[in-house]
Amino acid sequence: MAKQNKDYNKDFLHQGFDAAETDYDQRGYHLDVVLDVNQVRKFAQTAYDLGFYIVFVAGLHVRPDEGHDKECSGLEVVYQFARYDQLYRIKGRVSVPNTLEIPSISDIYQGADWHERETRDFYGVVFDGHPNMKPLLLSEEDPDFHPLLKEEKKLKSLDEVSWQPEAPEVAKGETEAETGQ
Amino acid sequence: MLESEYQEQNRFFLNMGPQHPSTHGVLLIVLEMEGEYVLDPQPVLGFIHRMHEKMGESRPCQGFMPNTARMDYVCALPYNHGYVSLIERKAGIEVPKRAEYIRVITSELNRVASHLLWLGAYLLDLGAFTPILYGFDDREHILDILESITGSRLTYCYYRFGGVYQDIDDTFIEATRAFIKRLRKRYVIYEKLVTKNIIFIKRAENIGIVSPDMALRYGMTGPNLRGSGIAYDVRKNEPYSVYPEFDFEIPVGEQGDCLDRYMVRVREIEQSLRIIEQALDRLPDGPVRAKVPKNIKLTPGDCNFAVEAARGELSYYLVGDGTSTPYRLKIRVPSYSNLSCLPELARGILLPDLVSILGSFDLVIPEIDR
Repeated sequence: MAKQNKDYNKDFLHQGFDAAETDYDQRGYHLDVVLDVNQVRKFAQTAYDLGFYIVFVAGLHVRPDEGHDKECSGLEVVYQFARYDQLYRIKGRVSVPNTLEIPSISDIYQGADWHERETRDFYGVVFDGHPNMKPLLLSEEDPDFHPLLKEEKKLKSLDEVSWQPEAPEVAKGETEAETGQ
Repeated sequence: MLESEYQEQNRFFLNMGPQHPSTHGVLLIVLEMEGEYVLDPQPVLGFIHRMHEKMGESRPCQGFMPNTARMDYVCALPYNHGYVSLIERKAGIEVPKRAEYIRVITSELNRVASHLLWLGAYLLDLGAFTPILYGFDDREHILDILESITGSRLTYCYYRFGGVYQDIDDTFIEATRAFIKRLRKRYVIYEKLVTKNIIFIKRAENIGIVSPDMALRYGMTGPNLRGSGIAYDVRKNEPYSVYPEFDFEIPVGEQGDCLDRYMVRVREIEQSLRIIEQALDRLPDGPVRAKVPKNIKLTPGDCNFAVEAARGELSYYLVGDGTSTPYRLKIRVPSYSNLSCLPELARGILLPDLVSILGSFDLVIPEIDR
């Protein structure tokens, strides 16, 4: 049985993070934190001090926002942390600047080492301060090949792949049919 | 001769793998050695990297189902389970109760099969040849049972969005009950042959101690974490499917050495059998597949789903864009995080102890490389 949840929302808000509670049943995590590049290490340190373990570090490629922020490269890095003692998952998301550099957290969470190298392989994000920023899963001969970068025509803006405030009901009004085998 | 010169002369590099029998697949570990002591073990990954995440992004979500079984081929059904549950959460599909029961029964059978194979393979690493023959014998029964309903022996693609591919019959239930009875009788063999074997204990006790803080920093999960005394199991901590309806325990170890990890897995076999028994007793009637739209639309936004695979927490993280193809699919596999602690854990130990640690981690390389 799930134990009584302690809410960590306030702990992150007190540290000055842009944290918002989310609907767990819908999304599978409890807290959504939007980070600035210089907040990444503080975020990891806060999570470590509160006793979270690292789940993963991953990337996401969206269309760069042309309107107001030209510094943005279109790449996002997603962090997920969770707890051993109760059900609580947090997601942190940071926009990678045009230099493609963001600070590494591999000295706080050593497990982030491989996840960051993998993100460099797939997206080309360079983690500043990482001790060994070499290809991990992909070949060392071609370090500039990043398979998860999307083609221009397949890119969508961040808004198009984020939760909409009034998400329309899907799957109810549609014609129901058996899945074809 | 200066001491530093002496050290220089006695240091060398040793490639363990990618064809080494105790790496269980194509894992290479570059070892910096001094005599028989390991100074710095560095795993080299990617020999069978297939970019499953890209495949997940380039076809409608139904088309990715067969891929899920090809990451962890030893315990594939929880991988099926995580993926269908993720899409069901995203699309708001209700699953009939009978289907969830069948999912739990088959997933737990698969977990037992995985632990039995691990038990044999670990002892094989340590130089004992006999246990793997017993382990394979028992595992073979499970594979036969699962083959009768899923159609495959290892790379299952049995679950469907909204249910399972086909219903189980009386033959399946009888065979499963007979297997549970048989395996319980075999415990005594395993106990006499392995658990109380002094040679085995000497090779596993006090070797490779994982502290709780280290587990947290590396994100370790599964039996490798529970060996360190932390009772974290996704089935209890983040209940999914119908697991809350069953009575089972989470075995934990004390100090986190190889022997504790061994004991946790052996005790987990019995807990899985208990879950299967309860599920068979209370198996509800009804349909095994809900009607789902042919074109499943994944609403914009991200979504996470975690399940307990045999090796630990498996998380699927999906970003939808309103079409039926995921915009992004991240697969967080347990062995990846579990292995990443090796350079810190195995610094300064004897080479035979490294083999013992690697065996006790229950690694599946296709899962790490994805």
